Amino acid sequence: MSHSTLPDCEPNFASTLPEQPGVLVVRKHHFLVRLSHWLNVPILLGLILSGISIYWASPIYQHKPDPNTGNFDVAADIGIWICAHVPGQHHYSSPPDWIYNHMSLGPGMLAPALRVHWLCAYSLMLNGMVYIAGLVMGGGWRSLLPRRTDLLDALRMFRYYLGFPFAKLARRKWPHPVFNTKYNALQRAAYFSVPVAGLLSIATGWAIHKPMQLHRLAAIFGGYTASRVCHFWLMWVYILFVVPHVILVFADGWDTLRSMIVGWSTRVKRSETIANEQ
Amino acid sequence: MKRRAIHHKEKDTPSTNVESEVKSVSVKKLRTFFRERPLPPIEVAPPVLRYQSRRDFLIFGAGALASLAGAGFLLPRDTLSRLGLRRSVDSPQKEWFLNKALRIDDDVAEALYSVNRRVPTYTKSQITPLKNNYNGTTPDPGYIPGWKLTLDGLASGLSVSLDIGNLLTRFSAHEQITRLVCVEGWSAIAWWAGLRFDDLLHAYPPMSQAKWARVESSVNLDASGNPDPYFMSIDLATARHPQTLLATHFNGQPLTVEHGAPLRLLVPVKLGLKNVKAITRITYVTEEPRDYWAERGYSRYDGI
Repeated sequence: MSHSTLPDCEPNFASTLPEQPGVLVVRKHHFLVRLSHWLNVPILLGLILSGISIYWASPIYQHKPDPNTGNFDVAADIGIWICAHVPGQHHYSSPPDWIYNHMSLGPGMLAPALRVHWLCAYSLMLNGMVYIAGLVMGGGWRSLLPRRTDLLDALRMFRYYLGFPFAKLARRKWPHPVFNTKYNALQRAAYFSVPVAGLLSIATGWAIHKPMQLHRLAAIFGGYTASRVCHFWLMWVYILFVVPHVILVFADGWDTLRSMIVGWSTRVKRSETIANEQ
Repeated sequence: MKRRAIHHKEKDTPSTNVESEVKSVSVKKLRTFFRERPLPPIEVAPPVLRYQSRRDFLIFGAGALASLAGAGFLLPRDTLSRLGLRRSVDSPQKEWFLNKALRIDDDVAEALYSVNRRVPTYTKSQITPLKNNYNGTTPDPGYIPGWKLTLDGLASGLSVSLDIGNLLTRFSAHEQITRLVCVEGWSAIAWWAGLRFDDLLHAYPPMSQAKWARVESSVNLDASGNPDPYFMSIDLATARHPQTLLATHFNGQPLTVEHGAPLRLLVPVKLGLKNVKAITRITYVTEEPRDYWAERGYSRYDGI
């Protein structure tokens, strides 16, 4: 281990600057991993918003047209319910459009939504390659592989999260389970499944986009219609991942969030330092 | 030789132990390759760390601003106005950029196309209902008795006019049960019959430089019932596909007005919007012709 400044070194009297001890850091995320991580934010947002606009043109979940409104779209029903029950939304001009006006580029925008969706979809595929390159170059892929102990460790983490609010209320000590790996089992499961979901989204996306030339790909997912259903539900994987992901990053602290921007972390495990010095 | 081989084998037997040891070593090597490695701590001088962090935060901030600007630039005007941004950039560059993305996708679709790759066919039990998706008003069937198909841009330099009787007697009929996929996302499996576009191309060859066909329906109406001719482009490579039909029958019956009587284009390797109903004219051209839906912001090639 090379020390730029050692505390037990003889002071350098030639320098007028006071001695500054070095900071111990670990390189946590490769530059390409950080780059692709943040690029995913606008790309996924663009894909989801334009995707829901595309969904509007032909919703998967339909029922018999309502005799009063003529509405057949289950998603529109949710908007109608929100307008009827959520305070402040009672005078909304078009309740069936509420969902599409708030959660997509907008209703009746198939052509622009498709163009935004293709642009973001090609960007996502390129970004996925950047991510894989970063994982390989930084060796970070090893931290994402599932382990045999993961199921038990994941349960320990679940127990920790479930008990956390009660322990806080009862002012009891509630120690975080200790792991000597970069990620705990729950994190690993999440960070492993999201890229897998990304691959599946790309595969089902191509299956819907080119159902004739790539009909064998569509057949893997159960045909054209089933591929559309898969593609729709894969969107929920990202939404269900992002919500706890963002909450937990803020809960975990500044070092974790900063490390995804700057790459390094000051959370250096003492044991590793010792092992490394030997 | 034989004996030697046996002898050799016998000699080998006790060495299996060694082999398994070698195996376990390679398994171990493989395991260490996949094993997570601890992150080595490094000591960095605080000024270096500060400089690098400042640089990375500035890049991050610039990227965030660029994404916001990109969203303001690329998103549809209606979306932006709903967000309260009235000064939307509706510049030609925006159209150019999004069209560029569409053209890349069209090129991919064209690269995927092969005249030899057939689309899946289905059995009669798999047929699903096909709704009348006429864009606008369904035309009055009054046009059907006087209907004629006009062919232009032929090698002969002449304009040819054919009625449905000519088409049905001169060309052999082909049947297929294929899926029609709409740009909106829904699809329907239907039973079609008609002549092959390829056979028509052989009977009335287009001029030698022609690469495209403009397929037109003059009977199309808009939502208020006014004439709204429908026209779209199809590349001749796709027109020559053995499953590209000029359909005359649907579910074993002659086409009804809802499905484009008396002749519609059935091109299962393209989106439904290319499957023109009630075709009245086919013109062979050298340059990519105008396309009804491409002019309304959709892609041009539409290969699926």
